[in-house]
Amino acid sequence: MTNPFRTSTAALALGLGMLASGAYAETVVDFTVAEYSSKTGPYFQKVADDFTAANPDIKINIEVVPWDTLLQRLTTDVAGGNAPDISIIGTRWLLDFASQGVAEPVDGYLTPEFKDSFIGTFMNPGIIDGKMMGLPVAASARAMMVNMDIYDKAGVAPPTTWDELYAASKKIAELPDVYAFGLQGKEIETDAYFYYNLWTHGGDILNADGTSGLDSEAAITSAKLYKQMIDEGLTQPSPTNYTREDVFNMFKQGQLATIFTFPMLIPQIKEEAPNLHYKILPFPEAGAKATYGVTDTLMMFSDSDVKEAAWKFIEFAYQDKYREEFDLGEGFLPVTKNVAALDHFTSDPDVAGFAAGLPYAKFAPVIANWEEIADVTVRTLQQIYLGDVTPEDGLKAAAAEINKIRGL
Amino acid sequence: MQKSIPLLMIVPSLLMAMAIIGYPILDLAWTSSQEVSRFGKLTGFAGWENFAEVFGDQLFWDSLWRTGIWTFFVVVGTLAVSLPVAIILNDDFYGRGLARVIIMLPWSVSLTMTAVVWRWALNGRAGLLNATLMDIGIIDQPVEWLATASTAFVVEILVGILVSIPFTTTILLGGLSAMPQDTYEAAMVDGASGWHQFRYITLPLMKPFINIAIVLNVIYVFNSLPIIWVMTEGGPANGTDILVTYLYKLAFRFGQLGKAAAISLIMFGVLLVFTLLYVALVSRGEEDAAPEDEKEA
Repeated sequence: MTNPFRTSTAALALGLGMLASGAYAETVVDFTVAEYSSKTGPYFQKVADDFTAANPDIKINIEVVPWDTLLQRLTTDVAGGNAPDISIIGTRWLLDFASQGVAEPVDGYLTPEFKDSFIGTFMNPGIIDGKMMGLPVAASARAMMVNMDIYDKAGVAPPTTWDELYAASKKIAELPDVYAFGLQGKEIETDAYFYYNLWTHGGDILNADGTSGLDSEAAITSAKLYKQMIDEGLTQPSPTNYTREDVFNMFKQGQLATIFTFPMLIPQIKEEAPNLHYKILPFPEAGAKATYGVTDTLMMFSDSDVKEAAWKFIEFAYQDKYREEFDLGEGFLPVTKNVAALDHFTSDPDVAGFAAGLPYAKFAPVIANWEEIADVTVRTLQQIYLGDVTPEDGLKAAAAEINKIRGL
Repeated sequence: MQKSIPLLMIVPSLLMAMAIIGYPILDLAWTSSQEVSRFGKLTGFAGWENFAEVFGDQLFWDSLWRTGIWTFFVVVGTLAVSLPVAIILNDDFYGRGLARVIIMLPWSVSLTMTAVVWRWALNGRAGLLNATLMDIGIIDQPVEWLATASTAFVVEILVGILVSIPFTTTILLGGLSAMPQDTYEAAMVDGASGWHQFRYITLPLMKPFINIAIVLNVIYVFNSLPIIWVMTEGGPANGTDILVTYLYKLAFRFGQLGKAAAISLIMFGVLLVFTLLYVALVSRGEEDAAPEDEKEA
């Protein structure tokens, strides 16, 4: 059903369009967007279209890149001199970008009113050497999610402490076809799954003096606990074959009683497993309360020639209506005060469950070589889970290696 | 004069090929001797520092060793499967065209996609492989193939063999179809068995094709990232890392481009030495085997 007339009109229009764009002195802002879900690309395209409709002389060129390849992509873009003008990045990378002079401080652009629209907690990770190196664009906190059907069946209450979690898991493990605790052991954020445990035992990634906290008493206790749960069949078998998504998928299928997760799972569950009776609860404690706060940053590149236009777009995109659509669509916690005050974010028990931890949230330390340090941690955890090393030996070696990477 | 004309005629393309192949290598060598920032900016001369760091790194030596195992078993395994397959496909039988298409089909799928499909198939709970094996009663508990390095690496080698078969079979089929049929007829008249025909006619005549299959496969397999990267990212606990996956992590996760450049230069050197040695060995072997009068010509 190709209509030759329509095709030629389209070609003509395209030609005219190109002529037209050549005639104006048009500013093009290249914006690299991290793909959170299938909704991310269309959402930002819509915001960009609205913006261009209001500012015909500025065109926003959106490029959507999956998270897995984003850092590699930006590295090669910067190395090849083709860096975009603005990009969404993981805040954990920000120090590398800032220390190499790739990131542009935004203090000069940020009006007091605009600055005041953000929630302070989420601004802090973007401050390096007293300068604001980017704006928080997405935030999440982590929490425990339990399958109430399984807990009810086993006749146990959802736990608030690690001892209770262990005891409840023992009971649940006796049920057929389900596993008590989903433990991630493969790929991105394998280390985070351990930090939840470490933090709630009172440990930390880094000690006060900057050395690795992996050889602390708390770290060894928490690693031993995970290993014990693996050995006693309280987790799914062979955690080193389970990525975050694999664990979450098992939870959706009703095969896991307890997981540690992020708010983005809620829209997925509502869509894929609407009959699942889940509950969001704080992480179990063993002496300390903690959650993991994660933010992503909207960063401007110092090489950009169109910073003014890029900033104009940023201010446009942070309007409440766009932020609301973004946070709702992707399942994030709001980073701006106005959106946080909206009904959905104050009354929804799921969001409230995740947001409850924010006052005591921990963020990944802003240090150089973070990815390498995380890699050492993941490797060590996998060795411990597999039984190749004891928690004591493994963590001591890992701490020494991390201290070496940190130059301490 | 007569002799130099053909040489002169290939000079332009030779120069171009050298520039295209040579420039990246020179650039790589230069980068490996520099301190390089996370974003590829050269920040000063480092001398041998990058190399010293690489050689002092246990993960490098482990990956090098594993690269050897990976390359050897994938190449040998591929040949062991491809040669019989090629001989069968060379025979005339009903449905040969279809059989050839089926053997070649995996070639048309990108390596990454094949690896993704296998990653799903090997999933412990939801994977097709465990489901099949349990259905036919070979195992009664699901096996987590990718959970430990030892099983994961074996599985990855098997997948590596599988994806290398089409290419190798093509080379060998080309050789087989060029084989003179009258030699076999003469051998049959003399009462040679099938095995004897294979051992004393097919194999010696196929030697050049087998050699080229070995060299090309070694180069491809040695440098092959997608299978291991997609299935395990070199894990668990770096237990399936080969040089190229380790290099990728160094360059694009840890931002150590200088060290990564040093490793790729080392990889280039290893392949170059292997190829030169192999070609030298093969040509010496051929010279020894050739009868005197052929040598004259």
